[in-house]
Amino acid sequence: MAAPFGEVEVADEPPLPTGVPLATVQGRSPWYLAGLRLRRNKVSLGFGVLFIAIVLLCLAAPLWADHVAHTTPDANHITDTIDVGGQQVDIVSPDGTPIGPGLRGQYLLGADQNGRDVMVRLLYGGRTSLFIGVVSAAITTIVAVVVGLLCGYYRGWIDAILSRVMDVVWAFPVLLLGIALGTALAVGGLSLGFTTIAGDSVWIPILIIGLVYVPYMARPIRGEILALREKEFVEAAVAQGKGSLRIMITELLPNVVSTIIVFFTLNIANDMLLESALSFLGAGVRPPSASWGTMIADGYQTIYTAPHLTIIPGLMIVLTVLSLNVFGDGLRDALDPRAKIRLEH
Amino acid sequence: MTKMRKAVTATVVAALTTFGVAACGGDTGDSSSGAGGTGTGDVNVTMTSFPDYVDPQLSYTVEGWETLYNVYTPLLTYKHAKGEDGTTVVPGLAEAMPQVSPDGKTYKLKLRSNMKYSDGTPIKASDFTYAIQRLFKANSGGSVFYETIVGAKDYAGGTANTISGIVTDDATGDITINLTEPNGTFDSILGLTFAAPVPPTTPLDKDATNNPPPASGPFMISNVQAPQTMTLERNPNFKSVKDAGATEVADAGVDKITITQNKSNTAQVTDIEQNRVDYMSDPPDADRLAEVKSRFADRFRMEESINTYYFWMNNEKAPFNDLRVRQAVNYAIDPEALNRVFGGRLHASQQILPPGMPGYQEFKLYPGPDLNKAKQLIAEANPADKDITVWTDDEPDRKRIGEYYHDVLSQLGFNATLKVISGDVYWATIGNQSTPDLDTGFGDWFQDFPHPDDFFRPLLNGASILPTNGNNYSRARFPELDAKMNELRTKQLEDPGVKDQYAALDKAYMEQAAWAPYGNEQYTTFLSERMDFDKSYRHLLFSQDFSSFAIK
Repeated sequence: MAAPFGEVEVADEPPLPTGVPLATVQGRSPWYLAGLRLRRNKVSLGFGVLFIAIVLLCLAAPLWADHVAHTTPDANHITDTIDVGGQQVDIVSPDGTPIGPGLRGQYLLGADQNGRDVMVRLLYGGRTSLFIGVVSAAITTIVAVVVGLLCGYYRGWIDAILSRVMDVVWAFPVLLLGIALGTALAVGGLSLGFTTIAGDSVWIPILIIGLVYVPYMARPIRGEILALREKEFVEAAVAQGKGSLRIMITELLPNVVSTIIVFFTLNIANDMLLESALSFLGAGVRPPSASWGTMIADGYQTIYTAPHLTIIPGLMIVLTVLSLNVFGDGLRDALDPRAKIRLEH
Repeated sequence: MTKMRKAVTATVVAALTTFGVAACGGDTGDSSSGAGGTGTGDVNVTMTSFPDYVDPQLSYTVEGWETLYNVYTPLLTYKHAKGEDGTTVVPGLAEAMPQVSPDGKTYKLKLRSNMKYSDGTPIKASDFTYAIQRLFKANSGGSVFYETIVGAKDYAGGTANTISGIVTDDATGDITINLTEPNGTFDSILGLTFAAPVPPTTPLDKDATNNPPPASGPFMISNVQAPQTMTLERNPNFKSVKDAGATEVADAGVDKITITQNKSNTAQVTDIEQNRVDYMSDPPDADRLAEVKSRFADRFRMEESINTYYFWMNNEKAPFNDLRVRQAVNYAIDPEALNRVFGGRLHASQQILPPGMPGYQEFKLYPGPDLNKAKQLIAEANPADKDITVWTDDEPDRKRIGEYYHDVLSQLGFNATLKVISGDVYWATIGNQSTPDLDTGFGDWFQDFPHPDDFFRPLLNGASILPTNGNNYSRARFPELDAKMNELRTKQLEDPGVKDQYAALDKAYMEQAAWAPYGNEQYTTFLSERMDFDKSYRHLLFSQDFSSFAIK
């Protein structure tokens, strides 16, 4: 699915001041140093700003819908008209052709065949896609950290069992696994005992996406924990009588935080791509709700006559994923210049 | 430089991944389907939805009948002809039209002699009985038409081992059918593929899609991979049917027809334009229609079709068990909006019988769209349950219809959930009473035979509420209207006043707002360049007549 990330070359450390006694040099925290490195990486910062701009734009969807477009994302206006240059124009003509893009508040990006405002759906669709991306990345991160810590710290049978489970999930192509789960859960929903998630709920794709990516993050974290638990500071903590849980939380976890942050960022991008793919194939976000994936699926049917209905949401996915990837790349360089973190599948 | 290279690489990969998404779905019309044909007699057909069943007793969709019309020949059949002429019932496997007793209750037919199925098995008179038995044991949606045969209900209920009203003699080919009451539609329903004889090796109570029974028509089914593809080839034993004198059963004009499901209408249009596929069963979508009309006028035409599009509403369950709620939906629906979804191919209508059907008299009980009136009725009804599920299938225009309907219901104050499922399982799913949340959804009906009873009995009669494969999706049950329908069926359509009474029945159902109908769709024929456009035609009952396919 997503692109493998190239290995990171070691970045330069900020130079120490020359001619100053070491005793007078103020200590710098790793976070401060990371901030310095990130600020020097203008490309990453630029894409970070782009991502924030996209997020803000999508968050402003209700403002645009209420005050500019005067409609909602799912409202059909098939037989309505709008004023264009003093003339009343059909939003959808009697032969079914929707109005195209134009420099106006309403229908800035045109309408779809149900007379829905594409700009409004694009913004609301972005909210859905971003929400799914962020929440599913959070689920992946939480589960992967727990699994990675348990496997790496305890090793033995816990590691054997959890790693094999991860291997089984890993063995399935992510997209096929997502489609299979999405299709299976679409009609009956998902019963979790204490609650049931409806088949059309956005939580179905969130859970599917969140869980299918766990092995891709849990395995590298497990590897890091396996190496860290052999270090002297862990032996010292054991000698001091600290319990396993405390060692994992206070000694090991802080040492993999930078890895987790980088993975989280990159996972958002991957999750958004998977959401788009699942929605396009009918196994993700359910109609009439908009997401960038469902918009591509809807627009694909009219790609010959109204290509913008496919290209615009596609472009938004490209920009968002690109900005997250480049920013995540920069973040990785900044947080751990020696890191060899890769997210590939 | 490194950063820039990585940025460019990431851009390209992200773009390829994103557009790869668009490339990996929908279009199944690939070269593996044998596009373009391999010889002069091979034709490729695409359908947006695969036939519901590849089984003559079970199939009850346009796609299914279009395919099976030229595979399974009943005792009587419909003439292979354009327009109204095609609605004429003619002898098929029977030697002649039935001899009907003066009381209209007994039909006598004689099977032609020495006919064989495609696998060489002799066609016997008792195979007709077996076909009718299958209708009841396999819970066919078409069984409702044959309930007037004496003993049919006992057989269906399990209290009899055979249908006593059908007596056959394999030696002579004689078939006698006794009815409980005269039935003005019986010739017509004997001509449906439901009644096509099949050998007793066919499973009695199961769907035979994966291993269809041998053919008695010009084509046989040589391969089925439901719901993706199926192949029809010339029936090697069809000569035995022709030699027996079945002159009205047309012969095949091509050697092989490969049918492939393709969910992308726009890809189907492009495939025909570029001659990779020879015929698409569905009309081009609205956005391609104008282009096809103007650029391919020499191989595209609009076709009349007798059908009604409607929204069904579960009359048995809240909120649609309240007449005011159903009336509100009728007031709120805008047929003109839906006409635009169809690309201008819809004749707006708010009644059950379509134009061209005997008994059709135009009326409109719910002028509108009148959203205020609709909201007022909903307020009066004040339904306790406003959580409803709206069903539709994934064919592009139907998905859009579902989205429109979902929006209308949301405007009326319902908490509506749209459920879009695959077109090849849609009808079986909503026709299965055990499916949860069957509240309301998309429906359409194409005439099975030119008689108004066909639009009332399977769709609105209380007896048509079946556990599976039912067509009365609205669960409509109005005893006085059922009784009227049954009474009218005992009369001939040509009897004085009968057509007017069917028109009154139409109005009576709409007074009950059993459905929310919105129009009648025009169909199309669009063929590749290599097809003989003048010979190929659309049959009024069975869509494209595959026996009319011919290569130039």
